[in-house]
Amino acid sequence: MSKLSFRARALDAAKPLPIYRNKDLPDLNDCVSINRAVPQMPTGMEKEEESEHHLQRAISAQSVFREKKENMVIPVPEAESNITYYDRLYKGELRIPKQLFHIQPLGLDNEQPDYDMDSEDEILLNRLNRKMEIKPIQFETMVDRLEKASTNQMVTITEAKLLLNEDDYLLKAVYDYWVRKRKNCRGPSLIPLIKLEKRDGSTNNDAYVAFRRRTEKMQTRKNRKNDEASYEKMLKLRREFSRTVTILEMIKRREKSKRELLHLTLEVVEKRYQMGDFTGEVLSEVTAPLAEKPVYTVPITVTNGNRHNHKAEIKIKTHKSGGLPYHGYHHVSVKDEDPFDFVRPKKKYTRREPLCRPGRPAKRQHIVNKADIKQYDFHSSGEEDYPLSPTSEPDEENDPDGTFAFRRKAGCHYLAPCLDQTSGLLWDHPELAGLDALRHRQSLTALSVPQRCVGLARRRVGRGGRVLLDRASSDLDGVLKQLDSGVFSSSFPKGLSDPQVPTQNHRTMPGSASSLTDLLSNIQALRWRFFRPRSTQGDGSGEGRTGRPSMDNRLSGGLFVHTKNSGSGGITEEQYQVHQQALAQMQKQQLAQLQLKAPPPQQHFSLPERQNTQTAGSTDCIISKTLDSAGAHFAASAVISAPGQVNNENKPDNTSVNGVVQPLGTSRPPHSTSTSQGGTGLDRSGRTPSSCGPLLPASHSTTPQSLPNHRGHGSAVSPAHHHHNARPSPSSLKLATMATSSLDRVPKVTPAISSMARDNHEPERLALNGISETTVPMEVT
Amino acid sequence: MCRCVPSTFINIHFQYIFFRQVDVIEGCRLPVLRKNQENEDEWPLAEILSVKEIPGRKLYYVHYIDFNKRLDEWVTPERLDMKKLQFPKKEAKTPTKNGLPGSRPSSPEREVPQAQQKCLPTKTSIPDFQVLQQQVQPPTITVHLCFDFLSPLFKSSQNGTARRPMPNQPGRKRKQPPNCGGTDEDSQDSSDGIPSAPRMTGSLVSDRSHDDIVTRMKNIDCIELGRHRLKPWYFSPYPQELTTLPILYLCEFCLKYLKSLKCLQRHLTKCNLRHPPGNEIYRKGTISFFEIDGRKNKTYSQNLCLLAKCFLDHKTLYYDTDPFLFYVMTEYDSKGFHIVGYFSKEKESTEDYNVACILTLPPYQRRGYGKLLIEFSYELSKVEGKTGTPEKPLSDLGLLSYRSYWSQTILEILMDLKPDNGERPQITINEISEITSVKKEDVISTLQYLNLINYYKGQYILTLSEDIVEGHERAMQKRHLPIDPKCLHFTPKDWSKRGKW
Repeated sequence: MSKLSFRARALDAAKPLPIYRNKDLPDLNDCVSINRAVPQMPTGMEKEEESEHHLQRAISAQSVFREKKENMVIPVPEAESNITYYDRLYKGELRIPKQLFHIQPLGLDNEQPDYDMDSEDEILLNRLNRKMEIKPIQFETMVDRLEKASTNQMVTITEAKLLLNEDDYLLKAVYDYWVRKRKNCRGPSLIPLIKLEKRDGSTNNDAYVAFRRRTEKMQTRKNRKNDEASYEKMLKLRREFSRTVTILEMIKRREKSKRELLHLTLEVVEKRYQMGDFTGEVLSEVTAPLAEKPVYTVPITVTNGNRHNHKAEIKIKTHKSGGLPYHGYHHVSVKDEDPFDFVRPKKKYTRREPLCRPGRPAKRQHIVNKADIKQYDFHSSGEEDYPLSPTSEPDEENDPDGTFAFRRKAGCHYLAPCLDQTSGLLWDHPELAGLDALRHRQSLTALSVPQRCVGLARRRVGRGGRVLLDRASSDLDGVLKQLDSGVFSSSFPKGLSDPQVPTQNHRTMPGSASSLTDLLSNIQALRWRFFRPRSTQGDGSGEGRTGRPSMDNRLSGGLFVHTKNSGSGGITEEQYQVHQQALAQMQKQQLAQLQLKAPPPQQHFSLPERQNTQTAGSTDCIISKTLDSAGAHFAASAVISAPGQVNNENKPDNTSVNGVVQPLGTSRPPHSTSTSQGGTGLDRSGRTPSSCGPLLPASHSTTPQSLPNHRGHGSAVSPAHHHHNARPSPSSLKLATMATSSLDRVPKVTPAISSMARDNHEPERLALNGISETTVPMEVT
Repeated sequence: MCRCVPSTFINIHFQYIFFRQVDVIEGCRLPVLRKNQENEDEWPLAEILSVKEIPGRKLYYVHYIDFNKRLDEWVTPERLDMKKLQFPKKEAKTPTKNGLPGSRPSSPEREVPQAQQKCLPTKTSIPDFQVLQQQVQPPTITVHLCFDFLSPLFKSSQNGTARRPMPNQPGRKRKQPPNCGGTDEDSQDSSDGIPSAPRMTGSLVSDRSHDDIVTRMKNIDCIELGRHRLKPWYFSPYPQELTTLPILYLCEFCLKYLKSLKCLQRHLTKCNLRHPPGNEIYRKGTISFFEIDGRKNKTYSQNLCLLAKCFLDHKTLYYDTDPFLFYVMTEYDSKGFHIVGYFSKEKESTEDYNVACILTLPPYQRRGYGKLLIEFSYELSKVEGKTGTPEKPLSDLGLLSYRSYWSQTILEILMDLKPDNGERPQITINEISEITSVKKEDVISTLQYLNLINYYKGQYILTLSEDIVEGHERAMQKRHLPIDPKCLHFTPKDWSKRGKW
């Protein structure tokens, strides 16, 4: 075709274009000139950039080769992707969920501080941490608040005080630091922020001002955008209000129940008074048939811990005359994550639902014993330890300690935590299974009155000084029965003066003992702890000493054991004995009565029943009876100790109350650790379990419990410190000897009844939790 | 401004003469050594944009003429070829300035900035000299020009920014199209030189007359993001106190900027995000897309924009992010959903834009992700039943990516057409547009670019040449990871009914 004399029509987008392959149109080239008729479309780039060298090169390369050539790409500044510490920085992994992510619009704002600590702050923090515990997040929150409250002018110290509500020392330190840092800061704020526009328009040209508001559009009419934001806020507000309402309703219910309880209790007391039932006998008679389960005591700190003393006292459980099904009772729980939940599984296991005060928040299950009915303590319901304000809840979710988070207390001296301790709860070791695992939480325990070994058990002290044995079943049970005769006959007579020496050892031995001989040798070699009650007749010899804190060689690896010297109270050994015997007598009588009255033995006294269940029904009556008397004995000692020097000692679950004479009375536990340190100082702390709890991580001392010991070298062992491989070192032996001699002089009176600050005892609780399945709580009354 | 004209003018002449041999000042041009992609030395002509003195020596910020600004860098004196040094021509300055507003020479700011630079001393230059320069400048400009310059000058001084501001207008509107995608929309109205706020729609700025020396120069040395260290290409308005850091740390998931590794560590204890904080609207394999509302999640949107600005020359952050949606593409691994790239989109576009800014982060570039982003943007348009186009101006990389995507998409359609009843297959441009959601103009420009449109025997036809067909087949083989529309869970909202944005 020759040249066209007319212009081609404009390209019509609606008109179909036939598609040819070039080979089909040999004469196409002739038409090329016409193509110009189609107007060239702009590329969409800026003119001056379009001519850039590399782009042009790339475009021409593309048109020539029809694909990109390696060296024809547009060069860009390099990027590296080899950050080696990435995995350390971004911890944890994310499993891809099956569903697509959907973000809740209300959940977006979390209340974390925007300020992030830098290394400079860390130095300050480390310095502060020598005096008190302050977490990075706490510091960040403080700085964050200061920053956000400061506009052009920095917050003054007075304002800061209002703002932060912190300990004065801390506040001052952080405030001063912040002021200094902010003055040196190059930016307007310690939290780097994008520059904001100023309303006067002076920032219109500032390159660093970004994200200005588009003002004009908002002025003309009411903006629904704002409505939506307000709507979301209202929703949130509503949600929070309704939560508050729920909480308040629950409080109301609780308070009502408490009032009811009080009235009922009063009534009961009045009736008892009229009847002259001062010993509680009538009451127990009356209540026995009503209670489906025997009255049951949960360990409660009876001591006057500062924080808990007003509430941690004895709880009264009133049996409503209607005979409520106690085990069906549901605790009203304000919080889901009740830290005391661990109690429940255990109860369930033993089919003993604790009797609970109706309406109490379940945080603490106080079981009331009829004998305690004289003591009332109505909690002003956990307000103190249960801040109900919703704001505290997010914290709790993040903070595993929840309400039990450590709080500084004025006047306390805190030491840094021993890190290695925290890691090693012995029974957490995966390789410790079965018996070995059990053995680290329970120890062999014997009773004195029926001289008999009850097997693995842990001891706790309940309200009023009652001693509870949590028993665990193990394959050893059979062997242990033989032990009764073996041990008691062989070694017991010898240890007359030393009834309370617990033999304990935590080292795992090669292969758990499976035969009696092994067992005995283990005990003698102090590889097993074995607690035996002192024999009554042996008591006379140890004058003025009530118990000996057990030594634990596990602790030689740097863990210290505190000796609690029981206060040198006025009770003498003789008095004590007398009391004890009297009480034992009483208990026996009671027992006998009850056994007659309560058809199923289970209902009342846990001991016999427990025994039955545990030994798989092979137990006979005799045993249960003897055990009962043993229980009586325990109870006796408990009662005795209570008035005189209640709770002078704390005892770990694992240590025995009434230690057993060591196989060879003369040999002392070779593994005593430096106990002198704890000494008398800690003695007092026995009364303030609440302080002991927090202390735990901070001090070398293990748990706040210790066993008074005849010989005066005391040590207490808390489960938290079970160190698997710790062996007595020569130095620790020396220490032990010294401690022994020095402590010998301290007279001790209390029989080994001590109360355990269980409530405050975090590791203990954990431990309990873990073993609740195998543990059978025992009560000896 | 006029008061001191004569004397200062003379002074400055004097200074120039005096220092000529010694000082390389802003505005000078000379060959500068750089390595090209083959790692060979080359000496492209470059312009000095800024000089700074660090203890012991001077550093020069150079822009290579005809190279993209992203290659601008600080160089040591050894890399300057002093023998071929050209001083800025004084006569030329004024004219260029006059011409400023619209016409800029090929390399973006070269002329204007030069002039500006001369006029405005950098902080790095000798103080006296700076002062002189500033004062001098006004006189050389014609009267109407004076307005342009002065206002910026004064504003800049008010701002107190260390550097001199050049632009007349709103401080930052600049946009650049970066790497992969183009962006579109131009924006502002600034051409008349009266400082005014930029227009409020769109995300890009095409008029560079606002560029000032601050925004012309990269201000962040290095950004650490997750596993990557990125070298920013352009200015980004991160808080000024952070610009002096050797490395700026970003949280990989919420994109918060932090001044040190320690701060990042601390931040990570508090930030539990493992994916962008929006709704996941697409997932196939390891690739996911998250939709973030620029109004509801301002913090993240702003952080994303700040990061994106490092790689997008024409992007403007002048206004808030409210009218935009952000679609963030992530790649999943056991650590979380790592951002690969994103595009933003106006909730309501008056100009058929379906993408505002689009970016593949540098570590992921040239691996097909850009095309995936583009494809996704058109998939959204398909769901909306609209055609769309990216906001202009496109960057060089954006243009290449879009062209490549359009070409492949259109060729695929053309080659799949089968003869109908023995007749030649045919298709209208509108049909192509409907099928692909590519705006008509873009279809035409692609057909033109591929040289497919021919006029033959009185009508327009499309012709497919051998090399086009082969090239397309090769390209399609290389292309992986197409977007699977079945995995898209997206319901378009009618934003006009929800109030503005």
